[in-house]
Amino acid sequence: MDYLSISSLQVDYNHQKKTNPALRNVNLSLPRGSIGAIIGPSGCGKSTLLSVLAGLNQDYKGQVLLNGKLPKETGEAALILQEYGLLPWKTVWDNVKLGLQIKGLSKTETADKVEQILNKLGLFSLRKRFPTQLSGGQRQRVAIARSLILQPELLLMDEPFSSLDALTREEMQDFLLQLWKETNLTILFITHNIEEAVFLGQKIFVMSECPGTIIREYVNPLAGEYSARGQLEFLEISNSLRSCLRGREKTCV
Amino acid sequence: MRVNGLTKKAIHLLSAVVFLLLSWQVLSFILDTPVFPPPFAAFTSLFHSMNSDLMIHLKVSFYRIAVSLIIATIVGVPMGLWIGKNKRVDAISAPLIYLTYPVPKIVFLPVFLILMGIGNVSKIVMITLIVFYQILVTTRDAAKNLQKEYILSVRSLRANERDLYFHVYFPACLPAILTSLRLGLGTAMAVLFLVETYATREGIGFYIMDSWSSLAYEQMFAGIIAMGLMGFLIYLLLDACEKILCSWVNP
Repeated sequence: MDYLSISSLQVDYNHQKKTNPALRNVNLSLPRGSIGAIIGPSGCGKSTLLSVLAGLNQDYKGQVLLNGKLPKETGEAALILQEYGLLPWKTVWDNVKLGLQIKGLSKTETADKVEQILNKLGLFSLRKRFPTQLSGGQRQRVAIARSLILQPELLLMDEPFSSLDALTREEMQDFLLQLWKETNLTILFITHNIEEAVFLGQKIFVMSECPGTIIREYVNPLAGEYSARGQLEFLEISNSLRSCLRGREKTCV
Repeated sequence: MRVNGLTKKAIHLLSAVVFLLLSWQVLSFILDTPVFPPPFAAFTSLFHSMNSDLMIHLKVSFYRIAVSLIIATIVGVPMGLWIGKNKRVDAISAPLIYLTYPVPKIVFLPVFLILMGIGNVSKIVMITLIVFYQILVTTRDAAKNLQKEYILSVRSLRANERDLYFHVYFPACLPAILTSLRLGLGTAMAVLFLVETYATREGIGFYIMDSWSSLAYEQMFAGIIAMGLMGFLIYLLLDACEKILCSWVNP
């Protein structure tokens, strides 16, 4: 059985007494310990899909199951937002410990866990800094540390590397891959970057817009291979994905 | 030699003090009237008055202003956060605030004096009411304009409503709250002076007006300096609070 399974998902947004469809008939599944990439045009409901999986949006129709349970019930998913969602008034240390603090863990246990995760992600020396004093890559690492400290089963990332420069983006992709190999997490992330989707996504879900639905699913054997970036097959999958996205472009009314 | 930030600030402050004293001296020389004594005479009077009854009046005024600011903050901040966080509450309360905010509350002073007596209560309530509105409106607007991303990110960590207030709304609005307190302090000092000139024999406002009516102008200026210094000290205190509690704004 797949760890993550979505069938016939439908989400609507009500705005000024009008119902706007955000997602329609979304079907998606992901085995435990794999990486899924969602790619599609802006405004196609990708972030809505993640908020449903994170248990933040419960106003939907259809079936959404994580390990056979509803997202709200499991508490197994951690969400990292596009701009990382770090609180500017908290230091790196305080941002990372926030989830445990909310959970009500003891101070000593919290401190031990925070120290451990910061050391693991190479952030300990930055623990007293505020988010504004960090680079984009460092902020992303802190956001990952804040999620990982809760030991989630599923890591949801909304365009995690979109605001990073090309080189830092590749470094962070490698970092995420290494982390995934160490932890065996199930990861589902949104991206606008075709190469990123092909480099990381074992399953790539292409979405159409207005209302968003999954129009194609790629099974990608190259995912997770550090050497894949320059290979011919990598370019072929990227081009196929590009054609698929271009072919489905349409103007949202 | 490199001058560090603190020394630089001290030099700037000292320069401002020297400039003000010189301007005062020049103005006093030009006006040449006992109503506007030179700074040396005023400070000498302040030094002598400190050992007499000025300190008693100063303590009373400080008590009134401190209690008013504390009550206005304790009531205004949670209310502002609550209204700013809840759209429905905001929609209901907005017309009420919109209608009552521009009304100069000081006009109710006679009513307060009749209802609450001529003691501390009426004066404290008057100052509190005026400062409360400033804090309430600023806090509400800060909470309303908070980036939704922060709320979503903390909610994704399974935060409840209390966590949101504690970890997001309050710290995010703190710089705005302290700014409104600083602005409110100026208003509060002005109101304090006014309320202490009616139906009381205590407070620095009374001391100034009493000196004025006794034609003791140097003593009157001693009272003015004392009141200014009190405001300045509270301002410094708020400044220190901002530096400690909001160090993230300019790390």
